[in-house]
Amino acid sequence: MAYTPVIKAEGLSFKYNESKEGIFDVNFEINQGEAVLITGNSGSGKSTLLKCLNKLIPTITEGELKGKLFINGEDYDSVKMYALNKKVGSVFQNPRSQFFTENSTAELVFPMENYGTDKEEMGRKLDELKKDFNLGKMMGRDIFTLSSGERQMLALASSLTMNQKVLIFDEPSANLDYGNAMRLGRLIDKLKHNGYTIIVADHRFYYLNGIIDKVFFMEQGKLTSFASEEEFKNSGYDTRSFDIFSLNIPFTGAAESKDSVVAELKDVSYKEILKNVNLKLHKHEVVGLVGSNGAGKTTLARLLCESNKPDGGKVVKGSLPFFIMQDPDYQLFGTSVDNELSLVKNDAKRIAECVDYLGLKPYRYKHPFDLSGGQKQRLQIAMALICDRDLIIFDEPTSGLDVYSMQRVSDEIVKLKEKSSVLVISHDYEFLRHVADRIVYLNDKTIEDDFILNKENVNRLNAIFGKMAEETA
Amino acid sequence: MSRIRINPVVLILINVIAPSMYILINGKYLQYFLLAFASFVLILMGRFKRLAGMLVIYGIMIGIYSITIQDDRAKFIGLFLIVLAQSVPCLVLASVLVSKYNSAELLAALETMRIPRMMVVAVTITLKYIPTFTREFKLIKESMRLRGIDFTWKKPIRSFKYFVVPQLFRCAALAEEVTAAGMVKGIDAPVRRSSYFEERVRWSDAMIMAIFVIGLAGGIVWHTRL
Repeated sequence: MAYTPVIKAEGLSFKYNESKEGIFDVNFEINQGEAVLITGNSGSGKSTLLKCLNKLIPTITEGELKGKLFINGEDYDSVKMYALNKKVGSVFQNPRSQFFTENSTAELVFPMENYGTDKEEMGRKLDELKKDFNLGKMMGRDIFTLSSGERQMLALASSLTMNQKVLIFDEPSANLDYGNAMRLGRLIDKLKHNGYTIIVADHRFYYLNGIIDKVFFMEQGKLTSFASEEEFKNSGYDTRSFDIFSLNIPFTGAAESKDSVVAELKDVSYKEILKNVNLKLHKHEVVGLVGSNGAGKTTLARLLCESNKPDGGKVVKGSLPFFIMQDPDYQLFGTSVDNELSLVKNDAKRIAECVDYLGLKPYRYKHPFDLSGGQKQRLQIAMALICDRDLIIFDEPTSGLDVYSMQRVSDEIVKLKEKSSVLVISHDYEFLRHVADRIVYLNDKTIEDDFILNKENVNRLNAIFGKMAEETA
Repeated sequence: MSRIRINPVVLILINVIAPSMYILINGKYLQYFLLAFASFVLILMGRFKRLAGMLVIYGIMIGIYSITIQDDRAKFIGLFLIVLAQSVPCLVLASVLVSKYNSAELLAALETMRIPRMMVVAVTITLKYIPTFTREFKLIKESMRLRGIDFTWKKPIRSFKYFVVPQLFRCAALAEEVTAAGMVKGIDAPVRRSSYFEERVRWSDAMIMAIFVIGLAGGIVWHTRL
């Protein structure tokens, strides 16, 4: 029998309606048991390619599709969506909307119900998944109460319920801490060795080091294929993300801050999440708050913002901090970029300066919701720049950003400290190395470590990341 | 008293049938019957807080009605409220349906009623949008507070706009994402769906349905006699 690749593309092109974006003349072969990384900057066509692979293009996304795709030698055109998705499992990026139901058990049985699996078989499969993915503790729970690591496991398990042998991941690491991302890497390795074909699109790939068989690099919709991880590493493209700890990033050169304290937590306790936390935040200082998912980082920020009241201890601060949450969609209320900024501070001159500095000038009269993800974030940073508050808090500002956008945000955050104190909650090692003057490590309900990030102390930060990885081992 | 679990199909049927009965049955009779019946179902399900809420809202509406009806200028408020009050029992039962059963159970229930698949999916997504809406509403309110944009009754339209516009955008994005989530999990498979949560029709379900039907039949008899 002739050897057939699991997935093969021949001259595949897709152009979105009313847009120049898309993918153009893409050719590749993926064989059974291979782990393939699709990488490239935001907007390079990674997601578009994935949507072609699970047939969301052309089923729900409209545009102009040309060329051929084959699964096990069969033309995609002749395979119905439901039949294809019995072979290809998809794990999406968005933690909120990748689930159809809101109960973990319901989510796991949902695909099986759709395909008419009988109840006994469902029970059997459920037990199997429970064992394989260690889901025991999270059965029958409201998905919104699960941690991001747990959600990732659930999404993965539910995409394998029909015994799919091909798995597609869209930016799986975007919402995971370092430990959970490393665990995902180990799981992908294990699945690969069990004969699964894995396709991952992501701009960070440290967790896939040594696992990848092929790399597809996307640039403006064009695909360049590398036959191995080694070949990709030697290609001259920016592949530093494989080994984040060896990055040579200059330190900010900060010393123990003598500037005024803008906010302070004194012996603060909150529920079972935080116990006797003491923390001082100084002006002109960027503090990186690190810790595993669920360690209480966001809770700490919410206490500073008076969203939660401490059960014990005291929160001392001047003005209300400016809190930039992960999802900008909840935080934009204006009718245009200019109007949004004037809601923060009605100072036309400063708004104009700020919009200019952040490259938002061409979009001044656009509705904030019409901006791209990166532009929305820059708008939020613009808001922070003109807001005149002592403390600015960012919650995971770089999740889902490619390396270039991350570096750009880093520069902007460093600019913010000229007039304020900045607290960034982040899992992103590279980003923290760029911006943080000081690291605060939250673990086991309290601050376990607090140090100035410099050449002497960088090992402490590395040790924290090492520890987070061990926790999930 | 132990709580009774009612098959969601029963609640859906009641919600479909009850409002349409206003065509056939005397309004007053149906109004009081539905109120009594909804209270009875809530007691059986052990939803006492919701029962109290329903009675209070109902009471207030009727109270305002009886006061305003005496004044010709304010009459329209009362008449408006009395129409609204009639839908309260049904709305409460519908809210129990959404809060107590998960999407999979609702899907299974609707599926047993032999409604076309696409309709089933649309109805389920709509029903499940309610809790999502509540959650997102809280987030938006919180971020308005942090932004220093307050909701004020002095400028109700502008304040309302801040709430609604982000919701609409979220809603559009969410609809697409949820559709994608369903599509990659075989929601379009042309086979009869099975159900992990499928519930047998129990004796208690039959009894509740019987009481409901007898009540309606009584109403029809009364109506035709009058």
